[in-house]
Amino acid sequence: MKKTLLYLLIINLFSGCYWNKTQQYEPQKTDGYRPIYFSKDDYEKISVTSPQALKLPGKIYIKDNYLFINEQSKGVHVINNRDPKNPQKIGFIQIAGNVDIAVRGTTMYADNGRDLVVIDISDPTQAKVVNRLKDIFVLPTTDFPPFFNTFFECVDKTKGVVVGWQKVPYDSNLKCFR
Amino acid sequence: MKKLILFLIGIFLFQNCQTSSSDSSFSPSSTGNGTGGSLARFTLSDGFLYTVTNTDLSVFDVNVADKPNKLKTLNLGFGAETIFPYKDALYIGTTTGMKIYDNKNPANPQFLSTYSHIYSCDPVVVQGNYAYVTLRSGTSCRNGQNSLDIIDVSNPITPRLVKSIQMLNPHGLAVDGTNLFICEGSNGLKSFDLTDPLNPIQREFINDVVSYDVIPTQKRLIVTGKNGIYQYDYTEPKSLKLLSKISIE
Repeated sequence: MKKTLLYLLIINLFSGCYWNKTQQYEPQKTDGYRPIYFSKDDYEKISVTSPQALKLPGKIYIKDNYLFINEQSKGVHVINNRDPKNPQKIGFIQIAGNVDIAVRGTTMYADNGRDLVVIDISDPTQAKVVNRLKDIFVLPTTDFPPFFNTFFECVDKTKGVVVGWQKVPYDSNLKCFR
Repeated sequence: MKKLILFLIGIFLFQNCQTSSSDSSFSPSSTGNGTGGSLARFTLSDGFLYTVTNTDLSVFDVNVADKPNKLKTLNLGFGAETIFPYKDALYIGTTTGMKIYDNKNPANPQFLSTYSHIYSCDPVVVQGNYAYVTLRSGTSCRNGQNSLDIIDVSNPITPRLVKSIQMLNPHGLAVDGTNLFICEGSNGLKSFDLTDPLNPIQREFINDVVSYDVIPTQKRLIVTGKNGIYQYDYTEPKSLKLLSKISIE
């Protein structure tokens, strides 16, 4: 008897949860999240490329006449801002998973996924890694976006490492939900 | 006369030439720390780098710039979002409150207090005796209200709310002397006269930018937004002058 009661209680709890989820929190299909992938081999590779278009800029950092603009999860745009009326993109430092940067003198500190990388930017167009501290940062799980009640594109690990999530308008590819 | 004109043209050309040729690659100054916005999770204070993750504050000695030495990691609880250093303290914005750490010994920050009347995603900036915090709704953080809260931190062990001012949907913010700037998300960018630190008076409300964070530097504002990176001159703070925009493609 006790066991049956317990069993019923558990079922009841579960169904309660279930109904709560479907009835109260039915999300609107307006937007969702798509994973930003980075290939495993390229993850630690930090290199400077030609200037890139700003697509999903994140935080900004100012050092002297330079602006450093984070491109979410992808790296850092380097802007020559000597003439603020005419800022010039002069390069892009590719850093997988990057969100934050700070600059002391001619040294940049950046997060590269779980690692803290130290980059010599005495000539920002020739930026190079001079040090890497492994496993400094704890990353939020990468199997789903860090939000609830949202649709998202299911992670396909063959596509690489998920370094971030991009908010996109809803479409039928956003098959996963949490 | 002709010669003079030719001479002037020559000088003019030469000057132009000089600026453009020396501009392609110049080095940042070998000393000093740069400046981040109010949403930063990395910050430098003298020879120390502080990083905030969701749960931890880490301290690195970067006096030898290319060899950061991790000194310690402090647990912050949950939901840390931003860090702002001011004088001898670190102000950490979290989803459950603002935490203040004593930083007199920069290698070993000491917990002072939590101001826990905040339940949103909250950047903090500090000037003089006051911390300015924006609270906004509509995020993954809990309950929201939309306001600018002014908190007396003259005694950092007992931070005290002195004023809460209604806002629309405030994100990042910046203070510079008698100027306060608040990003109102899709509503625009607000500029305030902060001559009285407890009584910001709105000077201007620029509606045509979607703004998220703002950094003041040398009487210029760098504003990040949905459509681009804007730079405004505020030498004349009554009316911000748009200098340039780097577009998002």
